[in-house]
Amino acid sequence: MDQSIAPTSRRVVLGVSEPTDDALDAPDLPTEPMPLNMGPSHPAMHGTVRMVLDVEGEKITSADVQIGYLHRCFEKESESATWTQVFPYTDRLNYVSPMLNNVGYAIAVEKLLGIDKQIPERAQFIRVLVGEMSRVTDHLTCLGAGAMELGAFTVFLYMLKAREWFYELLEEVSGARLTHSYMRIGGVCDDLTEDFVPRLTDILKRTRVVLEDVSKLLDRNRIFRDRMDGIAIITREDAIAWGLTGPVGRSAGLAYDVRKDHPYLVYDRFDFDVPIGSVGDNFDRYACRVEEIKQSMRILEQAMEQLPGGPVVVKDPRITLPPKSETYNSIEAMIAHFKIIMDGIHVPPGEIYSFTEGGNGELGFYLVSDGTGRPWKCRVRPPCLPAVQIMMKLLPGLFLADVVPTFGMMNMIGGECDR
Amino acid sequence: MAETPSSKPPFTMSASAAGPGSAVPVPVTPKTGSGPTPAVIETVGVTIDGKVHQFPKGTNLLEACNQVGANVPFFCYHAGLSSPAVCRQCLVDVKGQPKPVPSCYTPVADKMEVTTASPRVLDVRRQMLEFTLLNHPIDCPICDKAGECTLQKHYFDWDAKFARNDGIKVHKDKVVDLGKHIVLDQERCILCTRCIRVCDEVAKSHDLEMAYRGDHEVLTTAPGHRLDNPYSLNTVDVCPVGALTSKDFRFAMRAWELSSTPSVCTGCATGCNIEVHSARGRVYRLVPRINPAVNKHWMCDEGRFTYKPLHADRLAAPRVGNSPTDWDRALEAAGKKLRAALDTDASKVGVVFSAQTTNEDLYLLERLAFEHLRVGKAYLAGRDQGWHDDILVSADKNPNTAGAIAIGAGRLKNLMDLANDLRSGAVTALLVLGSDGVLVGESAAAAMPVDRLSALVVIGTHTDLMVEAAHVALPLAAWAETDGTFTNRLGMVQRIRAALPPAGDALPGWEIVTHLARRLGVTLDFSTPKSVFTEAKQKLAFMKDADWGRAMLPVQLRFAASRG
Repeated sequence: MDQSIAPTSRRVVLGVSEPTDDALDAPDLPTEPMPLNMGPSHPAMHGTVRMVLDVEGEKITSADVQIGYLHRCFEKESESATWTQVFPYTDRLNYVSPMLNNVGYAIAVEKLLGIDKQIPERAQFIRVLVGEMSRVTDHLTCLGAGAMELGAFTVFLYMLKAREWFYELLEEVSGARLTHSYMRIGGVCDDLTEDFVPRLTDILKRTRVVLEDVSKLLDRNRIFRDRMDGIAIITREDAIAWGLTGPVGRSAGLAYDVRKDHPYLVYDRFDFDVPIGSVGDNFDRYACRVEEIKQSMRILEQAMEQLPGGPVVVKDPRITLPPKSETYNSIEAMIAHFKIIMDGIHVPPGEIYSFTEGGNGELGFYLVSDGTGRPWKCRVRPPCLPAVQIMMKLLPGLFLADVVPTFGMMNMIGGECDR
Repeated sequence: MAETPSSKPPFTMSASAAGPGSAVPVPVTPKTGSGPTPAVIETVGVTIDGKVHQFPKGTNLLEACNQVGANVPFFCYHAGLSSPAVCRQCLVDVKGQPKPVPSCYTPVADKMEVTTASPRVLDVRRQMLEFTLLNHPIDCPICDKAGECTLQKHYFDWDAKFARNDGIKVHKDKVVDLGKHIVLDQERCILCTRCIRVCDEVAKSHDLEMAYRGDHEVLTTAPGHRLDNPYSLNTVDVCPVGALTSKDFRFAMRAWELSSTPSVCTGCATGCNIEVHSARGRVYRLVPRINPAVNKHWMCDEGRFTYKPLHADRLAAPRVGNSPTDWDRALEAAGKKLRAALDTDASKVGVVFSAQTTNEDLYLLERLAFEHLRVGKAYLAGRDQGWHDDILVSADKNPNTAGAIAIGAGRLKNLMDLANDLRSGAVTALLVLGSDGVLVGESAAAAMPVDRLSALVVIGTHTDLMVEAAHVALPLAAWAETDGTFTNRLGMVQRIRAALPPAGDALPGWEIVTHLARRLGVTLDFSTPKSVFTEAKQKLAFMKDADWGRAMLPVQLRFAASRG
C-alpha cells in the first residue's frame, strides 16, 4: 500500500462520504500500530489492573496484562499473625465472596490440626450455607458489572439489589456486611440468627424473579449477544494448560468442580449439577455463572432442609475461645482465653495444601506450621490469577471493544489476584 | 524448712533446663575454669518411654527425661537449686513402684524403666494442676507474669479442661511489701518454695518461709527478716507465677511486648550473662542468662538497675565549646585541636582509656594513639571500686578492666598520675574515650585541672562534668546500643549486642575513632565492629579464643514458646 495516499483515504472514510460496511472493513485501510495504555484505573474495568495493548486501528496485536496494584503482602503478613488472626486477611482476598475464603482457610488449618473430622455437623452446614450465599453474591457482582460495562445498567441495578439481600442476611449472621471473619478454627464464631431459614427462603424466591428478569433483558439482546458470542474462545486444552478452574474453566468444557470431585464439608449430601460450556466464549462464561447461581440456590434449599442442631464449634479449650461467662469467672477459661489470644492455637509442625471451590475456582491454601501459634508460611492459590494470565493469549486478534467484556467475564478480583 | 537431701549440689545446671531468662541460648566458650575431668564417668542405662539411654550415675531423673526430649513438666524444681518435690508435677511411672514417683527427687538407677506419659501419669498431672488452680485468682489480665507464666503454660499443655468447681476461692493478701525491690501477691503463690531456696542457697540468707497449712499456707518473711539481700530479685525470676513481682518492672510493661537481646552486665568485672528486655527503644529490665562458667542462673540486684542510666542525661549530639553541632563540624574541630597539639609536642598528648568501653573501641584507640599518632601518655579510667562478696559481685565496678589493661600493654597509668601530669604540665592535650570516673564530684575539677589543657576531646555517653569541660565532646553509644566484647575478671571475652538504637546522634566508639583518625590523616579501614574484632583477635593474645557468635535478631518474648 502506498503510504502517501493514506491521509486522503482516511478523510474520505471518516468525513466526506457515507461509510459503508465495505469501507469500514476495507482491507487497505491505512493504519499505524500504536501502544495503548488501559488502566490501572479505568472506568470500564472493575479491578486495578493495567493493560498495555498494541493496537492497529481497532485491532489488538499484543496485550501485556500487568497485575500487582493491590498487593498487600497477605502471605508475609500472615506469618506475623496468629492462626486465628489470619481470618480478617482472608476476607480481603476475594472480597465479593469473603465467606468462601474464610471456609477455605479454616478447613486448611483444621486439616493441619487433625480436627477436620471433628467439626460439628451444624457448623459444616452453616459453612455450606454462608459459602453458597457468598458464591451467589460473587456471581451476581460479576454478571451485573459485566452487563453494565456493555451498557445494560438496569441489569446491574437488579443484580446488585439481589446481592444486597444476601449481604444483609450475612451481615445479620456475622456482624459485618463484607468483612465477615465469621469462621473460626474448629467451626464458626456464632450460631445462625433465629429467622435465618425463613429469611433466606424468601431471598431465594425474590432472587429467582431477578434472574428471570435479567434473562429476559439479556439472553436475546442483540447488543449483548453480539459482544459476547464467539469472543475470546478458550479451548478445553488451553483451560487445562493454563490452570483455569471455576466458571472460566467449566465454560471451556473442563468439568471440574472441587465440590463434586473432592467433596468437602457436607457437599456430598446435596443434589446439584455442574454446568459445562460448549464453546468457551464470553457468553458461555456468562451462562455458566447464571446456571451456577441457580445450582447454589438448590444447594441452599437442601442445606436449609437438612440443617441439624447442635454446637457450631468444637469444644476444646486449646482451640476454641471459652464463653465470656467462663473466661471472667474461672481461672481455667481465663488462661485458655489468654493463651489462644496471645500465643495462638498451637498447630503441630507440618505442611498442607488444602483446596476448596472459591467463587472463581480452585482456592488453595498451602500452609506450613513450625509448631508455634503462627503460620510459618501461608501461600494462596488465587483462582483468578490463571484467568488473568490467559488474557494475554486471548486478546491479540480481538477488537479493542472486546477487552471490556472479556475482562469482565474473567472476573479478576484484585484482592485475590494480587494478595 | 527442713534441709532436703538432694541428688545434686546447688550451683549445678544442665544445658537443657529452661529456667527464667533462657529464651535466647547463646553458646559461650569459657576460656578458663574447666577443671580436670574424671577419666571414667560411671553411667547407668535407663529406659525412658521404651528407649534405653545412658546417663552418668547420680543424674536426676527429671533432668534425664528432659535431656532426651520426654518433656516432663515441673514447678518447684529448678536446675540451679535443690529439689524439694513439693509441686508433684514431675511425677512419672517407674516400673516396680506402686505409685508415680517425683522424678526431680529420684536419681537414675541402672535398669530403671520409666514411662513419662502413661494415662495414669497424665491423669495425676492434670489433677494436680486442677488442685493448683482451685484457689488461683483470675488475675491474668493484670498480672505481670502473664505471657511468661509457667502455670499458664502447664495448664494449656497438660490440663486444658474447664473448671469443675465454682466455689469461693480462698482469699489472701494481694500486696505484701517483702523488701526493697519485691512485692508479694499471696493469692497467686502456688507454694513451690523456689524463692525460699534461692535466698537460702544463692544469697545464703534465710529470708523467706512458709506459714500456716493447707489452703491457708502462705509465703512470708522469716521472723525478724526482710527480703533485702543483694540477690533478692532472683526470686522474681524463679517465681513460676506472678506472686513475686519486681517493684521496678511491676505494671511497667507487658512481657509479650518485649524483645530479648543477649548481652553482658556492665555493673562489675564479673560479667554476668544477661538478657536485655526492651521495647520501642527502651530497656525495661535485665534478667540473667544461664552461663555455668560465670553466673549460673543468677545476677545481683545492683546489676539489674544498670539499665537506668541508658535513658537519663545522655549526650545526644556532638558539642563544640558546649554548643550542640553536627558530626562534621565537631570532628573537624577535634581534629584541628589534636593536630595542633600533636604538632607542638606529641609526647605531651595523652589518651584516656576507659574500662567501660569495649575491647574493639579500645583496640582501635590503641592503634590510633600508639601506632599512628605516637602520643606520649596513656591512662586508664573507670568507676571507683565498691563493695564485693564471694558470690557474684566484684569490687571492680567496670566490665572491661582486664581488656583495657591487656590492650594498654603496660602503658596505662592511673588517674592519680593523670592529675599529677596535668598539674605539672606534662600533659597539654587529652583525648578521652569514655568519660566515666575521670571527673567526679564537686571538688573533682580542682583535683583534675583540665582547664589548663590546650585540647580536651571527650568521647562520652553522658553529659557529665568531663563533657562540660571538653573543647569538643562526641556522643558515644552506650553498652546496650553497641556490638562488641568485654573481658571479665576471669579473662573470658564475652559478646555484647546492641538492643537499642544509639541515643540521638551517638555512634559506637570504634566508628568515632575511625572518623577522628581520618581527620588526623590516619586511615583505619573498618566498616563493622566484627571487622575490628577479627583483627584484634589476631593481634591480641587474650582474645585468641574469643568468638563473635552468630548474627541474630532480638527474640520477641511473645513467640519464644519455651518461656514460662
